[in-house]
Amino acid sequence: MNTPNHPDEIIPGKSDYSIWKDWTVNGWLMVAVFLSVAADILFLHRVREWSPALRGVMALAPFLAIILWVRNFARWVQGMDELHRRITLAAVFFATCTTFFVVVLWHRLEVAGLFQSLVPGGALQSATHPAADPCTVAHVFWLMTLSYVVGHRIFNRRYQ
Amino acid sequence: MKNRLRELRTGKGWSQGDLADKLAVSRQTVNAIETEKYDPSLPLAFRMAKLFKMRVEELFDPDER
Repeated sequence: MNTPNHPDEIIPGKSDYSIWKDWTVNGWLMVAVFLSVAADILFLHRVREWSPALRGVMALAPFLAIILWVRNFARWVQGMDELHRRITLAAVFFATCTTFFVVVLWHRLEVAGLFQSLVPGGALQSATHPAADPCTVAHVFWLMTLSYVVGHRIFNRRYQ
Repeated sequence: MKNRLRELRTGKGWSQGDLADKLAVSRQTVNAIETEKYDPSLPLAFRMAKLFKMRVEELFDPDER
């Protein structure tokens, strides 16, 4: 019989970690992060004279990669056995809720002017500062990855 | 749910890994079922019963937790 997929295959540091498997599952997510960072830093803020259509394509390109990533991730989860599928889906739900909560909270604190009062002079409002926009693909990637690993540890512990 | 999985597995001389391979699940899943931390789905329960050539209700006891 086929060996079912295992969550530890894509968590660095685990004994079952496989960089090839990680790339197969998460490769398109890496591409999305790269495209997002490139679009945010190199193009969207500096090449304002480009046509809106071209800038629109560049802004949306990461989301095409994200759709492909979701497809690969869903297939990987589908290949797990039932216990690991349950743990992984619980961890994904935890990561999604945590990311949503943090992004919304961050936005509200920014609107309330908290960051401006903490760091006067507008440094945090600069377009390339990490605090300027918590909704970039790169920010969400790190936040979701971290909260997924934490969530997976929490839910996995119950069955060990 | 109480079950006889460990008793039947050791009776056959199989390790948890051997049983996991036969059922196409992970070793952690076999361990979680044996220690009653996880109740398997109906299809998995039937696969286990078929493997040990017995009925599902002989393998699992739904009256005890």
